[in-house]
Amino acid sequence: MPKVTIENLSAIAAEAQEKHAAYKSILLVCAGTGCVSSGSLSFRDVLQKEIDNRELSSELKVVATGCNGFCAHGPICVVQPEGIFYQHLKARHVPELIEQHFVQGKPVEHLMYRAAKGERAIPLEKDIQFFAKQQTIALRNRGRLDPEDIADAIRRGAYQGLQKVLAEGIKAEALIDLILRSGIRGRGGGGFPTGIKWQTCRQASLERKETAYVVCNGDEGDPGAFMDRSIVEADPHAVIEGMILGALAVGAQEGLVYIRKEYPLALQRLYKAIDQAREWGLLGDDLMGSGMKFDIQVHQGAGAFVCGESTALMASMEGRAGEPRAKYVHTVEYGFRNAPTVLNNVETWASIPPIVSKGAEWFAAIGVGDVSQSPWGGSSGTKVFSLVGNVCNTGLVEVPMGISLREIVYDIGGGIPNGRKLKAIQSGGPSGGCLPESQLDLAVDFDTLQEAGSMMGSGGLIVMDDRTCMVDVARYFISFLMDESCGKCTPCREGLVAVHEVLTRITEGKGRREDLDLLEDLGAAMKEGSLCGLGQSAVNPVLSTLRYFREEYEAHINDGRCPAGACKALIRYTIDTETCNGCGACVKPCPTAAITGKLKQVHIIDQEACIQCGTCLDACNFDAVRVE
Amino acid sequence: MIEVSFEDKKIEVEPGTTLVDAAKAAGVYITTLCHNEQLEPYGACRICSVEIAEGERRRVVTACNYPVHKPVTVFTKSERTLRTRRVILEMMLARWPKVKVIQNMAKLAGVEEPRFAHPDRNESENACILCGLCVRICKEGLWHNVLAFEGRGPTRKVTQPFGEISPECTGCSACADICPTGAITMVDDPNHPADPARIRKAGQVVTREMILLDHQQALMRIVGTAHLVEIMNDYDLLPVNNYKFGDHPDAEKISSPHFRKKYFTQGVPDACYLGCNMACTKAVEGFELKTGPDQGKFVVVDGPEYETLGGSSNMGIFDPEWVIEMNYYCDTYGIDTISYATAMAFVMECYEAGVLNQERTGGLELPFGAADAAIEVLHQMAEGEGFGLTVGLGIRRMKKLFAEKYDADAAFLQDIGMEAKGLEYSEYVTKESLAQQGGYGIALKGAQHDEAWLIFMDMVNKQIPSFEDKAEALHYFPMWRTWFGLNGLCKLPWNDVEPEDNGEVDEPAKVPKHVDGYCNLVAGMTGKEVKPADLILQSERVYNFQRIFNLKMGFGKREHDVIPYRSAGPVTEEEYQSRAERYDGQLKEEQGLDPAAMSLAEKVAATRQWREDRYQKLLDAVYKRRGWTADGIPTLATAKRLGLDQMEGLTELLAAHGVKE
Repeated sequence: MPKVTIENLSAIAAEAQEKHAAYKSILLVCAGTGCVSSGSLSFRDVLQKEIDNRELSSELKVVATGCNGFCAHGPICVVQPEGIFYQHLKARHVPELIEQHFVQGKPVEHLMYRAAKGERAIPLEKDIQFFAKQQTIALRNRGRLDPEDIADAIRRGAYQGLQKVLAEGIKAEALIDLILRSGIRGRGGGGFPTGIKWQTCRQASLERKETAYVVCNGDEGDPGAFMDRSIVEADPHAVIEGMILGALAVGAQEGLVYIRKEYPLALQRLYKAIDQAREWGLLGDDLMGSGMKFDIQVHQGAGAFVCGESTALMASMEGRAGEPRAKYVHTVEYGFRNAPTVLNNVETWASIPPIVSKGAEWFAAIGVGDVSQSPWGGSSGTKVFSLVGNVCNTGLVEVPMGISLREIVYDIGGGIPNGRKLKAIQSGGPSGGCLPESQLDLAVDFDTLQEAGSMMGSGGLIVMDDRTCMVDVARYFISFLMDESCGKCTPCREGLVAVHEVLTRITEGKGRREDLDLLEDLGAAMKEGSLCGLGQSAVNPVLSTLRYFREEYEAHINDGRCPAGACKALIRYTIDTETCNGCGACVKPCPTAAITGKLKQVHIIDQEACIQCGTCLDACNFDAVRVE
Repeated sequence: MIEVSFEDKKIEVEPGTTLVDAAKAAGVYITTLCHNEQLEPYGACRICSVEIAEGERRRVVTACNYPVHKPVTVFTKSERTLRTRRVILEMMLARWPKVKVIQNMAKLAGVEEPRFAHPDRNESENACILCGLCVRICKEGLWHNVLAFEGRGPTRKVTQPFGEISPECTGCSACADICPTGAITMVDDPNHPADPARIRKAGQVVTREMILLDHQQALMRIVGTAHLVEIMNDYDLLPVNNYKFGDHPDAEKISSPHFRKKYFTQGVPDACYLGCNMACTKAVEGFELKTGPDQGKFVVVDGPEYETLGGSSNMGIFDPEWVIEMNYYCDTYGIDTISYATAMAFVMECYEAGVLNQERTGGLELPFGAADAAIEVLHQMAEGEGFGLTVGLGIRRMKKLFAEKYDADAAFLQDIGMEAKGLEYSEYVTKESLAQQGGYGIALKGAQHDEAWLIFMDMVNKQIPSFEDKAEALHYFPMWRTWFGLNGLCKLPWNDVEPEDNGEVDEPAKVPKHVDGYCNLVAGMTGKEVKPADLILQSERVYNFQRIFNLKMGFGKREHDVIPYRSAGPVTEEEYQSRAERYDGQLKEEQGLDPAAMSLAEKVAATRQWREDRYQKLLDAVYKRRGWTADGIPTLATAKRLGLDQMEGLTELLAAHGVKE
């Protein structure tokens, strides 16, 4: 294998591009975790076999890529260079696809995306609305390269930022200044300016003559969030290059990636990428022949939400229990092994190389606010979100900062399925907040979301429709956090139990009028009194729903009624005698056999046996099931 | 200094001071629960939350661990402060309604009934409230790590590994002592002491001092007795070249800071016995041996302790790795490092004085500092071959051998052969402490300092100026130290770490508070109340018994309490001159002589006469204080007072030595 040097990187990239361009078509099969679970690997195998059998392998190249992003439509295959997008692929589609598209030259329409049933097929990926409004920086290579082949990454521009810094002899101070001017703020949740972090770390390192560490936070514990995992799966070299640049800036020689064991595919690809980078001279004792020394080791976390918190993460990496400590002394000064430590999350690291190669001004121009004086002046660049819940186009999206929630949900996300209405958007993970429909036009940036009572967090966006009870949702998140609290400090450990207790009694119709004050009291003590960010923000789902959906709480307490029809203790299912035509579709799905009735006669639900699971509601094709 | 303002008070503190310490200094009360002065701030209970303002920024922080780095205003009574504390206490009260400390704090904060029912409500008065004090004292204070938290969130609890009582737990009870709710109970001691609680309480006092004071005093837990090297060197007490001198410019190389930095590999409690709260044993790990049968092996070496290091300087060797090697082989061979080192120092001086030569040492060159040859002798001693056979005889027999075989000057050998009653001296220079000369010379088993170590009292602090004072010290301290031997206890926790206020008591050298602690141990164990004087009496009885035993075996008289002159004064002119100013001064002040008018030989002789005479006067005073005859034999009255007169044959034995009453 070649040793990559400052001089030969472009030649290596060109050579890879030449090989790439020699194929008539490149078939990019998504092998992100989502598509893999819906069978993309077996599709890929059959596809490759078919190509081999037809002796087309010199013309067609199959590449298993990282996450394409449009997860709801997987397994996905994008055919380059045209960019034709195929979805919901099964092994049985292979012969037809090869014959029609690649032999006869007629792309297969019925495997293409349609905005809705009966609408015309959209052949090109770029024309699909889901992709049209996105702008990719961190996800620049998603679905575009083979994450297990470093040459393919170099072809797509990997390590050009590093090459630029080394070739032009850019000094650490200048590099930090560049990051500062780009205005980039931490993508992991807090939104702390990355440049300031690096600067503080470098200063501490110089003052104390102690070598700094750079650490990548890939713990990503939020339910429903998969931004970081997807980046590592799709483009591990982006993270590696980002960390090398960070190391250059702060003078680190060792980098660590903390990533949860529950991400096996990401781990496998990261290990492979690190090995390849070492073999190619991009990690180790003499990076690109420059004499720089830097290497990365991976630390597998056991999957605790709190280990995403910087001090707990470092405790875990040091072999201690993953519990946070007070951050009155910051980890950037006294972090891993008490040395100055820069901790950035996966997405931030992956965003660094393009900033370096394309310039701070390019990045600063994207997004909102004015970061020319200070990164605190706005939110520059893009942000990756995992868009999930009651939305048509679930998947991974990267949008410029400042885009409205409405654009994300309706333009990119395709709106709410089954003709239902949007009720709320939860942003920022379990300790984020729930925003109502009225806040849909809010600009998505660090400061606006914070003001509205939510937060950017690491980028989870959960869309909820009108059948979601906000009290129940708050209770769900509190229950998650209660399990994930490390239990070290009183307000988080006991406060979550208390809040959970109060929410439970409200959802059971046993709430008291004073409970809302009590929740606010508990919330304030947790926010002000908790040791770490987990406890301080844990109560956000409650406080934000109290702020925007207070009447729903009041309905539970005052009227013993769940307006969304979700709280089991407060609802009963009945069958409308007028509407029921006795089709019997509800009988079989009922898990407790609570529904009886003869065919073509009105059915009845036995209220004693009913467990309010709602299966009958979904099963009935005639809207005869009522929720009271 | 940085200004910290409270509602009605102001104070200036050093940067990095915590708010709790600043408040304490200002006389402002801030409620704490999981905070303890013995431990690192933890910030878990959050009861000490206070609102602060630094410039424009106002926020709530925990006072226990918030370090002051810029001027800050603390609002201990603001609504935000009070609400945070109130709600936290409400949470705790909901879970542990009967725990006194929580009830009290809740009452102070104005919490009566919690507004919600806690699913894990615990009605016990002694419930664990998860403050972590026990876990931390075990880890940070004792370094034992026997306790830890298990589970997370609401399932968090304190436990020992695998939920069982850990075999590593020494039962030191520090956790039970620090627990604010009484949640920790001790399983009874298998020795069935009369009052286990009293014993534990006495132990907890020591534990607390170890945690709080040791790092300000002797660093016993960090470097052990090795810390004495630098102190002895500073006070002219570190033996160099067979006790000729008391310091050396190279002593730094074998001092404890050097060992701590480069060799000691410890952050764990390594102790002679598992339960020790001092745990001063230290080790060097991964040491590659350069000589002997284990050459090339990587080994763990226990030590070196002070005496081993002092022995090395006594041989004129200042190579830390050589000391470690010697330490290892002495341990492995079962040879005492003190006897080996002192005997070798004697051999080296004999070599330099021409008593020995290469022919007589089997080809070895053995001047002071001959490290390679010295370790070779050690191997030979163990193998029972070569010159090792000679050194292995010990100093007393070597003196005789060299005089007979090599026609050496017996008087000179007696002066420089550092042994008493056949036992080699331990590693302290005693020339300027008459009391310590007595400590070595009168000691029943020979020249060992564990009967009395009076150098600082005598020479540095000048607390025992007269012969009577010295005699009193040579009564009390040998008896007191003997008491440790009687009880199988170690002496180090008695006075190597002292109470904070020890300097203010009447007799600080006795460390009276600790003596009281030992009384509590005895009473707790036996159920019998004892006073300090009772302990001394216990020792006196044994000590006199031993003296009589020695007498019976031919070793218990004045003639046996002789010391080599090297331990009392300068034997050679070289030695005299090395401290000429001191000796000249003494000639003038103590003896009224004019050193300027005397030759060097005259000065050496006059000094010697005065010093030897003082030693005899000391013996007179000590024997008198102990109730012994002028010949150093316990009188019959003394034996009777101590209940020893019932011993069969005692009267006859004493009578045979001329003692009738």
